[in-house]
Amino acid sequence: MTKAKIQADALKDCRGVGCPMNLVYTKVELAKLQAGQILEIHLDDGAPINNVPGSAEKEGHRIIGKKQLPDGAWSVLIEKG
Amino acid sequence: MQISMNGEKRQVAGDSLTIAVLLEMEKVESPEMVSVQVNGDVIDRTLYQETDIGDGDEVDFLYFMGGGSRR
Amino acid sequence: MRDFSEAQLERYSRHILLQDVGVEGQAKLMEARVLIVGAGGLGAPIGLYLAAAGIGKIGIVDGDTVDLSNLQRQVIHFEKDIDTPKVASAREKMLAINPEIEVVTYQKCLRADNIREIIRDYDFVVDGTDNFPTKFLVNDACVMEGIPFSHGGILRFDGQTMTVVPGKSPCYRCTFRQPPPPDAVPTCSQAGVLGAIAGMLGTIQAAEVLKFVTGVGDLLTGTLLTFDAKTMDFKKIKLHKQKNCPVCGEAPTITELYDEEQAVCNLHN
Ligand SMILES: [Zn+2]
Repeated sequence: MTKAKIQADALKDCRGVGCPMNLVYTKVELAKLQAGQILEIHLDDGAPINNVPGSAEKEGHRIIGKKQLPDGAWSVLIEKG
Repeated sequence: MQISMNGEKRQVAGDSLTIAVLLEMEKVESPEMVSVQVNGDVIDRTLYQETDIGDGDEVDFLYFMGGGSRR
Repeated sequence: MRDFSEAQLERYSRHILLQDVGVEGQAKLMEARVLIVGAGGLGAPIGLYLAAAGIGKIGIVDGDTVDLSNLQRQVIHFEKDIDTPKVASAREKMLAINPEIEVVTYQKCLRADNIREIIRDYDFVVDGTDNFPTKFLVNDACVMEGIPFSHGGILRFDGQTMTVVPGKSPCYRCTFRQPPPPDAVPTCSQAGVLGAIAGMLGTIQAAEVLKFVTGVGDLLTGTLLTFDAKTMDFKKIKLHKQKNCPVCGEAPTITELYDEEQAVCNLHN
């Protein structure tokens, strides 16, 4: 990400969590937020980062940021739709 | 004439017939186990002899079905 | 929002993943109260699936005990359950699947003088009985109490079901008026029934319950779904609210419940 750091309203670390439970946790966290609020979620490389953001988008949320963490996992910012 | 029977088009001789006749034609063994609906109206059992079915009518034979719980 | 435990999130993950159900839908299921009338061929799959879905409170009504001839289709009962009350046998399996739910048993027959107070504790009623007097009693009581219900019937190779939302959609009596004369009625015991038919129809009824509770999709209201397993033809026939319906019509003639027959169900086995 090149933009100024966006402050997330909640953070969920799903490193080490496989599919589809990582999406379940993402949905649970999003359900706790109001529309427009932002969830930061940490996902493993591979299937998790390839699947979870797309699934969240299909349900009407917006992916507003994605960056790789030092350990190879990913941080994804999801704005609740 | 053409009528619709449980959603399927059916060619029937003549221009009208009663529900009683149609039940016979369809070889319904126990008419007591059927409720007849014509164009969305459920017809009283006592009126089967005098209720006419005409061209274009939609007729549904709805069977009583019990079953489930006891042996 | 309701707090889910880790185990609950995992148990219900396949519901939560569904966009139309999600966390909110699962929470509704866990708060729902559903009554199953009959713990037989239809009640078996209905009970198993509703327990698995985490319906918070499930009531089961049945006065019978398990018989060897039940086991061909009533998959909630096992050989070891023969001669035990069906409601106890069903409750045991439902709690074995999901110990988090509450299962209330009524080892009795529904009658005009007990049905209203029983169904009042529930949001939805599922009819899985095999006899017409009880089917009509369930219809009339649900219409009077304003409780939605699912009608289900199976015979030989055929099944039928419709969902009734009193006041909004046609009731069972709109179409079927009154029980057929008892001597004209082939019950499962006389006519036979292909075992898996009970599963086909019962799971459709269970799906209607889950749809009703979560608000997903369109219910089988104003629609009689029928199938013939010999050809696997499924048909939907549109039904209409009848102005002259004796219970939900413009001038109802049935304003009080009554028992059709002396023996609504016989307890002796
Ligand atoms: Zn009615």
